[in-house]
Amino acid sequence: MTRILFSDKLDNCIARWRAAGLTVFGPVKTDTLSSYAAIEHASDFDFESVLPDRSIKDLFFPQTEPMLRYTIKKRAIDTEDFAPPNDKRIIFGARPCDASGLAIDDSLFGWDYKDEYWIQRRNESVIVSIACTKADDFCLCSSLNLAPDSSTGSDVLLRPLENNKGWVVEELTDRGHEAFLAIAELLQDGSDPIAPIAAVPEKFDLDTCVAWLQNHDNFESKFWKEISMRCIGCGSCTYLCPTCHCFDIQDEGDTYSGIRRKNWDSCSFALFTMHTSGHNPRATQSARWRQRIMHKFNYFPGKFNVNSCSGCGRCSRQCPVDMGITETLQKISTLQP
Amino acid sequence: MITQEKYRTRVKELLASNSVKMVIGYKQGSTADRRRPLFVRSFEEADELVLDSNCIGNLAGYLVTEGLLSDEKRVGIFLRPEGIRSINILAAESQLNPEQIIIFGFDTSGREVKALQGEQAEDFSGLIDSLKEKPPEKSSDALLYRIDQMNTEERFAFWKDEFSRCIKCYACRQACPMCYCRRCIVDSNQPQWINTSSHTLGNFEWNIVRAFHLAGRCVGCGNCDRACPVNIPLRFINARMAQEVFESFDHYAGTSQTQEPVLASFNKDDSETFIL
Amino acid sequence: MSEPFEPKIIAFVCTYCTYAGADLAGTSRLKYAPNVRIVRLPCTGRISPMFLLKALQKGADGVLVSGCHPGDCHFTHGNYHARRRWMVFRSLLDFLGISPERVKFSWISAAEGGKFADLINSVTEDIRKLGPFDQYKELIRETETPATL
Repeated sequence: MTRILFSDKLDNCIARWRAAGLTVFGPVKTDTLSSYAAIEHASDFDFESVLPDRSIKDLFFPQTEPMLRYTIKKRAIDTEDFAPPNDKRIIFGARPCDASGLAIDDSLFGWDYKDEYWIQRRNESVIVSIACTKADDFCLCSSLNLAPDSSTGSDVLLRPLENNKGWVVEELTDRGHEAFLAIAELLQDGSDPIAPIAAVPEKFDLDTCVAWLQNHDNFESKFWKEISMRCIGCGSCTYLCPTCHCFDIQDEGDTYSGIRRKNWDSCSFALFTMHTSGHNPRATQSARWRQRIMHKFNYFPGKFNVNSCSGCGRCSRQCPVDMGITETLQKISTLQP
Repeated sequence: MITQEKYRTRVKELLASNSVKMVIGYKQGSTADRRRPLFVRSFEEADELVLDSNCIGNLAGYLVTEGLLSDEKRVGIFLRPEGIRSINILAAESQLNPEQIIIFGFDTSGREVKALQGEQAEDFSGLIDSLKEKPPEKSSDALLYRIDQMNTEERFAFWKDEFSRCIKCYACRQACPMCYCRRCIVDSNQPQWINTSSHTLGNFEWNIVRAFHLAGRCVGCGNCDRACPVNIPLRFINARMAQEVFESFDHYAGTSQTQEPVLASFNKDDSETFIL
Repeated sequence: MSEPFEPKIIAFVCTYCTYAGADLAGTSRLKYAPNVRIVRLPCTGRISPMFLLKALQKGADGVLVSGCHPGDCHFTHGNYHARRRWMVFRSLLDFLGISPERVKFSWISAAEGGKFADLINSVTEDIRKLGPFDQYKELIRETETPATL
């Protein structure tokens, strides 16, 4: 016997959560794009797509965020901080790869400097993931020690029943438990069959790749140039990535007043490492692509013991020139260490 | 298939005789109908060349990669008519020497691929002139029709909504063969004319500037539109600019290597009905 | 009681003709609407569309660009180049929903002090009728508010 949330009760759940002061988010699809957005009714959700075009990162680390307002006066500079919003939120129907992505970035944003914007949003949010019953050619969680039903980063994991009848509820954290207390009486006990999770074939052997990346001799390998020759240096892979977290701090304003903002930035851009002198330590696109791969699978795990990739495959799915992490690591796994 | 085989053979001939150092073409991508750019330097790579109706992207932008043409060696490239027009514009703007470019021209109708006659950009001038003579097709796109029916406020609201999705990844810029500036205006901060932040205002400004810089230079290859990860219909904006320069100044971008850039030239009789 | 709307208009003018025309309007003691802030530049050919965008970004309700009549340019053809640019830029703004009524262009010579005063009055009235550029100002306001998500 397991606890089940039946699909026809979802609307009620949403109403209860909303009544309890939670904003409910979930995967939403419009004519133009799918993303995680606020919803009001169960019918607003899109559970059909493999995963939303935009990652869950948008809800925790917006593309541009005002940090403070400054006013320059004759003898002083006044500043006024912008706090991150403190609404309580429940994100229903996150994909396990997106939830894992949040857990990966937790280690960075909670490291030596505590990023209050990230941490506050994380503390106010309950992540309810739904295990995937569908995958496409680009999904690669299984190659990264994750799976379509990984619970990393989730507060509650739901396993879909057959015929979209509902979900088996697995509470993982206190925060998840608390959120589901509000709807406890809408859950039922049952033993309905669980739908099989999506088959995501393993695309490369991660350990082989990591060993190759860790070998210093390979830093200058010709491989990097070959693999990234067609990279056009846009930032779309990094911006759609649930774990890419680089940002730039910009002052927007004039001599008298303005706003300091935290904006997404991308290691794919030539300007990312450009010095004022004109010297650019990552002068070529291949050096930038190498940085992206090295950071995700060598430097980041070296520091935090976890790869900075959760296998959503968005980088490959939308790349204008059909590149991506999958192709690169597949090739690396065939090279001599 | 026949064109593909013919071109593979020709690529090998040119490589064997050292007439080109590289040919830029297409190969099979990660799904059945995706094609990815391929840089051919060997016979093995030449055998990977694919040419079919799924070869859509305009590859011309790779030619202005820093250092590629500076050794004065020739480079081959697979191009549709729009791509050939891109070469003409790049030549007219002194970004490359067209004699260094060997063109494998092709066009498709439906699933059929046909080879275009010629190897140098100027060989295709007849073809491009005939394209110009054809009255620019009125797009039958339902969305464009809707935009045209809107009043100013509605249009602003429509584009505001579209641009609000922009994440400033600059894929539109990077995918465009005409966006070759070493330092883009949006990346310049002294002075910083437009906001670099990706709020709707900054996105609006960016898209105005991008479209304006492509006025009279865009060949409508669609690279930007396809590259946009948030599906902003950039093609309409570029097409409107192309229509404007065509109607006002009889300018069809990329007809020849000596064509004067439309916004760097003038005619004393240019229309000025709007000037008070 | 809210104050009645006074349009804020930025005029980008060339120093040889329109600025001199404005000067003449002043020395002739012609009265005209005080809604226009003038930015003087060497030539209309120097007036980049970026300037116009900056004016809107800073909250202008309208923009005016003015220079020498065709044939009179101090640099012989700066204004011809500018004319083409404006033609295209106007069409772009129109397509994106920024009314061409808010971005005006004119030729005013150094001798046309009267035309300058009349133009400023009529442009000010036109923009007053259009009202504040609320749609754009809403975007500006949005940049000053905290993140909502």
